[in-house]
This record gives sequence, structure tokens and C-alpha cells, in this order.
Amino acid sequence: MTTAELDPLIHVPTRLKIVATLAALPDGDTLSFTRLQDMIGLTPGNLIIHLRKLEEADYITSSKTSNGTATITTVALTGHGRKALETYTQALRDLLGGL
Amino acid sequence: MNVTPDTTAGNGGTFDPREAAALLDQTSRKARRQLSPAQPWLLSIRGVLVLAALGAVWFTVRDQHPYQGPHGSALLIVAAFVILNFTATMAVRARAVAGVSGRSRYTPVEIAVLAGAWVVPYVVMVALGVTGDNQSGYLLTVPLISVGLTYAAVMAVRSAWRSVGTGIAVAVTGAAGVIAGQPAVWAVVGVGLSITLLGSAAAVAWQLHRS
Repeated sequence: MTTAELDPLIHVPTRLKIVATLAALPDGDTLSFTRLQDMIGLTPGNLIIHLRKLEEADYITSSKTSNGTATITTVALTGHGRKALETYTQALRDLLGGL
Repeated sequence: MNVTPDTTAGNGGTFDPREAAALLDQTSRKARRQLSPAQPWLLSIRGVLVLAALGAVWFTVRDQHPYQGPHGSALLIVAAFVILNFTATMAVRARAVAGVSGRSRYTPVEIAVLAGAWVVPYVVMVALGVTGDNQSGYLLTVPLISVGLTYAAVMAVRSAWRSVGTGIAVAVTGAAGVIAGQPAVWAVVGVGLSITLLGSAAAVAWQLHRS
């Protein structure tokens, strides 16, 4: 196995942190954009770009809710995204085991 | 729209797998720790404090013949522990679940059921006249049985089996206190709750630190 076989969408430091953080949530839970930003330590613009890439691949879902005065964006890992992280983690183990 | 390049290692091509594995492990552990509403350090402190508070009460009543109940100052220690315990637990939980929504949050129905499990036993005991100093042990044990069993049932519905175990342990502690009778009830409940809390702390710590 080579590095090229690692999922290129996840094998980027920032996106790996995003996916690993969202995977820590129990199934069925979502995390607000601001809390995720706080936990990862990214600027909003940078986070949005990475989230968009993950959402295009159906690794995460995002939704907006409004309480009248403010809009809250929440994100969560999809089943597909959780599976992709599991596959990535296993590929990483295989790769490192083989080094 | 201009896309900001991925940081630190380009698009992953130069991202060393060893660094990736370390980052994945570190981020997962940190996220689990930050999102966990139950913190091992707080559970451990609570485990020690409950033993100290109820142990202090037991020291004041252990030589009473006939049993008259704990002194008012001893009950104040217990009340202070309950308030401190509740406040610290709620503060830590609120910080952990900030920004989290969904299944892991308690529903209004669950909150009402758990609050009822605390309040109803007191209402029933007051109605039955179980309020004298020499019956103060029941004011401690009966709510523990009620809350422990209710919490276990609520957590069973959520398939949260570690929490089910905690609820059952609390109920068993209450039942053991009833069986022990006065004045041993204070020591039995103190030791039982302390073991439950320290056991929970160990279980949560293991969960948070596993790879």
C-alpha cells in the first residue's frame, strides 16, 4: 500500500482534524459551526472551504436554523463520512504496519 | 471564488502518514475529552467529597443510643455537598455540550421524569410523615433508589449501557442503605456512592484515552 491510496479528501491535516472531531460526536448529534471552529482553531473562511469539499463528497451534512434573530449552522458526519474515516484509519494502519 | 490552499502539507501529497496517524489520534482524543459531559477529574472529586460528607455525618451519629439523627451542622455539610455537586456537574456539562444538538441531549420529557424521580419520593415521605430526625436515613436512601432506577431505565432506552450500570449501582447503594439501617446507612451510602463515582471516573477515563 502507498500514500496515494489514502483518501485524498481526508489525507489533508485540516480536513483530517474536522472529520476526526465530528466523528467524536455520538450518532445523531450535530455540532455548531462556531463550536467546531473553536475546537479546530480555524478562521471561518478557511473552515467553510474545507467543509464545502467534505459536503460535496457527502462526508458531512450541514443545516441552517434560524431563531428569528440569528442563524445557526450545524454540521455532522454522515454515515458515508464515518465509513470513509474508518477506511482511511485502517489504510493508515496497514501502511504504517508495512513501513 | 478563490479557494484557499490546504494548509501545512499542500493537498496531502507531502503529508507524512506517521504525522497523519499522530494527528488523527491526538484530535480524536482531544475531541472526545472536550465533548464528554462527564469528566473523570470531576467524577473523582465528587467520589471523594461524597465519602467525606456522608462520612462526617456518620461520625456524628455512630455512637447514638438510641438513634436521634444527625446534628444540624452535619446536615448542612451534606446540603453544601449536594449544591456544590449539582452546580459543578451542570457547569461542566453545559460547557461540554455547548453547540451540540441532537440525540445525546436530554429531552424535556427525560428531564421531567428524572426530576420527578427526585421530587416524588420526598412528597410521598412527607405525606406519610417520614420526616423525623430518626428517619433521616430514608430521606437519603429512598430517593437514591428512585433516581437510580429511573436513570437506568432512561439510559436503557438510549442504549447507554455504562450509564445504566451507574443508575443500577446508585439504586443498589440506596437499597443497601435501607437494609443497613440507622446509623450505618450514612457510611454505607457514602462508600457506595464513592465507589460508583470512582468506578464511573475510571470507565470514562478509559473511554476517552482509548485509541
